[in-house]
Amino acid sequence: MDLNLIIYALNLAAIYSLMAIGISLLWSSVGMINMAHGATFVVSGYSTFIASGWLVPILKASLAGTAFYTPVLVFSLTSVALLSGAIFGAIIYLIAFLPLHDKPNFAIRSLIATLAINIATVQFLLWSFGPRQKALPKLFGFGRIDFLDFSIRYDQAATIIGTLLLVGFMLLWFRNSRIGLEIRAMMQNPEGAALSGISIRRRALPVMMLTGSLAGMAAILLSQTSFFSPTAGALPLIKGLTIALLGGLGSVAGAMLGALIIGILEVITGEISFLGQRYVLLIQFVFIVIVLIIRPRGLGGLLDETRK
Amino acid sequence: MNKILETSKLSAGYGALRVLHEIDFLISEGERIAIVGLNGHGKTTLFRALTHLVGWQQGSIILNEKEIGGRRALGAGRKTPSIIHAGISMAPQGDAIFPGLTVEQHLDCGAYTKDSWKNRSSKKEQIYEIFPPLETLKKSLVGKLSGGERRMVSIGRMLMEEASLYLVDEPSLGLAPKISENVIKALLKVEIKNSAMIIAEQNVSILKGNVDRMVGMHAGRLRGDVGHIALG
Amino acid sequence: MSIFKLNSDKQITLQAIGQKSREYKLRPKNNSIWQKFRIPMSRRHLLKWRTSYNKKSLIKERRLEDKRPLWWFISLISLAGSIPWLSNFALSAVAIFCIYASINLLWSLTLGTAGIFSLATMAVVGVSGYIAATANVYFGVPWPLIFVIGTIAGLIFGGFLALPSSRLDGLYYALLTLGLAEICRVFISQIHALTPTNGSINNVSSFIPEDWYLQRPGLLLGAASSFVLLLLALLIYRLVNGETLGRKLQVARDDEEFAEAIGINYHSARLKVFLISCAGLGFIGAFYAMYFRSISLGVFSLDQLMLLFAMIVIGGTGRAEGAVVGTAIVILIDRGLFELGPMRIVIIAIVMILVTTYASNGITGIREQFRNFRHRFQTQKRSLITTKGGEIMPEEAIDIHNKQIIYSRRFNSRLRNYLKTLINDEVIAEHKANPVGKHSYELTRLLNYFRKAEVPDKYAVAQIGPLKDSQYKIFAFTGDPEKPPRVVDERVYSSKNEAYHAIFLLRVNDLLES
Repeated sequence: MDLNLIIYALNLAAIYSLMAIGISLLWSSVGMINMAHGATFVVSGYSTFIASGWLVPILKASLAGTAFYTPVLVFSLTSVALLSGAIFGAIIYLIAFLPLHDKPNFAIRSLIATLAINIATVQFLLWSFGPRQKALPKLFGFGRIDFLDFSIRYDQAATIIGTLLLVGFMLLWFRNSRIGLEIRAMMQNPEGAALSGISIRRRALPVMMLTGSLAGMAAILLSQTSFFSPTAGALPLIKGLTIALLGGLGSVAGAMLGALIIGILEVITGEISFLGQRYVLLIQFVFIVIVLIIRPRGLGGLLDETRK
Repeated sequence: MNKILETSKLSAGYGALRVLHEIDFLISEGERIAIVGLNGHGKTTLFRALTHLVGWQQGSIILNEKEIGGRRALGAGRKTPSIIHAGISMAPQGDAIFPGLTVEQHLDCGAYTKDSWKNRSSKKEQIYEIFPPLETLKKSLVGKLSGGERRMVSIGRMLMEEASLYLVDEPSLGLAPKISENVIKALLKVEIKNSAMIIAEQNVSILKGNVDRMVGMHAGRLRGDVGHIALG
Repeated sequence: MSIFKLNSDKQITLQAIGQKSREYKLRPKNNSIWQKFRIPMSRRHLLKWRTSYNKKSLIKERRLEDKRPLWWFISLISLAGSIPWLSNFALSAVAIFCIYASINLLWSLTLGTAGIFSLATMAVVGVSGYIAATANVYFGVPWPLIFVIGTIAGLIFGGFLALPSSRLDGLYYALLTLGLAEICRVFISQIHALTPTNGSINNVSSFIPEDWYLQRPGLLLGAASSFVLLLLALLIYRLVNGETLGRKLQVARDDEEFAEAIGINYHSARLKVFLISCAGLGFIGAFYAMYFRSISLGVFSLDQLMLLFAMIVIGGTGRAEGAVVGTAIVILIDRGLFELGPMRIVIIAIVMILVTTYASNGITGIREQFRNFRHRFQTQKRSLITTKGGEIMPEEAIDIHNKQIIYSRRFNSRLRNYLKTLINDEVIAEHKANPVGKHSYELTRLLNYFRKAEVPDKYAVAQIGPLKDSQYKIFAFTGDPEKPPRVVDERVYSSKNEAYHAIFLLRVNDLLES
């Protein structure tokens, strides 16, 4: 097998894990399935698109040719994507979490509400931008890094490193900060948390913004290799959801492992001649169904058991 | 002496069941009060009404000259965090704690204001002085501790905060007698200077003579004295 | 002590209790037995008339307890009657309403009756539609037969879908099936034979003759046959939900262990309902392909599924009215505001969010939700004005349906009040002298009451030391199997009888305090 395929698989795994972790984390801390994750993905893609339309000429005029051009562009557009994802996360919080969180059947009702947000956003974008596909500027250039036997495209390297950095930073923050502690307390015993002065209404906001910015990151990374349209969020949403299920809802490590497996599976299926690209989705899905039939709680449960 | 908590005409209940009947109650600075009574007579409901966790409630609750009562609970638990921040610290009945956190993290959860979060390490030292067994268990998960240790953690979490009113619900419930005695003795040793403490307890004999006042609770009403036919 | 004794000094305020029924009631003239019409071959009546006697006047009254059949009849008749007079645009809207309403009816069988949270509805419809269209276009199967092919395809596909449903949790299964439609779409779009037509199969022969297609008679025929389809779906819904399968599953929903104990195999019942609904969806898939004379990948799109989901959510799951009303609302917005373009989907989404935020089970559930809310509110208000300690009056607690609980509570409290009057020094002295053995009437009553108490109220005697010259201590049960009994006090008794008497005194204390 070609070593570059490993890089390709890692690249896919990175993007999938960004989507899956966002869904998984939100389920475990707040108890809602965010169906508007795909909408967040598209919204941050489009806001990056608009921002790049503004920024690229300005930057080209002032910094073209200098060494600063790429870092400044990457930094500014990434922060636009993260910020817009976070803002959209806050909007989901206002519409689907705040009015619903202490009502009966919160899990199902928030799922429905976020689904509605997803539909509305996609249709709104269709209305205002039209169904035409858009291409975001290539942020990282077209070069390759040759390293041992690997030949890594810049955007692949940036995807893998960026994802690792973002997820690592997030996990670190979650483990060490006060908000992370309070969120874990909230997950385990909501009433006890309320008696410790932890308000779920206040603590859910940063989590939603964080998961939103993860979707934003996924959007900017995926748009390096593919085009963007208002309906582009559906497939990442479904893949993120199924991978989150595969990893066991609520388990971040499981989601990462699941993303890695699915990424490798996708690459292998694409390589086998009699299967090819068109069976990728089907095989992934069948694989996930089989794993879930054997282990209804996904891979996350498996990890917990081996740890014991 | 300043008033810490004053309730007037506090009623509360769950649905059709009215548990508390117009309770007028006053506790001042530095007082340690025990509320005694049988199961199902409203001790826990009184505490839950103070923290807005009952089905419905009515009447005024004034904590540090601030009204925290309400006509009807805004969905159980909605107002609880803000009431906690107003200066009530409560150790709930049983082991209402976070099983997946370590003892240390658990104690950290109790420090919810900015000041106490900053001073949490010195506060934790004090807790370990009160409950020495916790010092060695610092890093172990709370879910794996014994009942007595968990109760200590629960009470320790309550003491992490410089609250003006401490509520302890049934500290001896379900514990072996020796351990429950230790827990209550430790609780009685806790200094309360600018604050007050209410202990709800069934076991009268441990508390007798060690608290400032002993109030009986019967069928949702407070009674000044505890009527018992002398045994034996 | 008379209940009716009024103290003249005391002001008694009477509180209004209960609800006045403002319903229209029939007053039958005489006492003749009413011959009700039964549906032939069954023991069912058409309408649920119930006779009762007015509690005050003792006049016989007849009340229609379930008015839904009337509403169904009126709305279906008016829909059918309006078909010939509608415009062409409205005719296609009616046909689409009928098709979607039938899909939703069968879907709500899965969601509500079977309790399987499957989102693969459009996948079933689409797959069986594609198979039926393939059979017709590529294998030349005549159109009446492709209904059968569609049904069988739906059944088989449903069988595959049902495999993981028993293993997986509701939410997991829902999310898994959500991805299914998308996978079908991608899969079919990559079939080489269909590439020239962009994944769709055209020129499906149909019950609408080819030269009538998109003409007035064709549209009329289409609307009429869709209406028949809706009637069929309603019949299936009624037969599944209201008969054996539905009843079994209703019992299982209330209490799974009980259902199993009385021999209901609810797993298989659930599976049967799911398969029936999938077969029905397969039939609709074939109908869909024939109605449009083609089938395209649009069936599988996520937006299509979400639109359908919006209908179910807005209407409310678990009842036929919900499925139909929700479909009607969404189709009205979708067709009525046609010129708004994509924005009408945004309006549907906003309606969906509003409904989920404020209604716990769709628009058809609002009435029940409001009643529950009013009951809770009134009960709270009444319990606030009551002065009886910890007691509930049966007519006040309108949200407690099992009045037996209330009656037994009241009985127990009266019993306690009576027993309290029996306690005096003589009884205590009698027990002290002779804890075991024959007792006086008063003491026997007290001891019987103590014996039948629940475990948490009881005490136990623990023996300390060797069997000879042993001592006794008293423990109190906690009632919680995980928590050990606690010591009442440190007092030690030298004989068993002393310990018995101490427990008796403790119980007397408890009784006096209660």
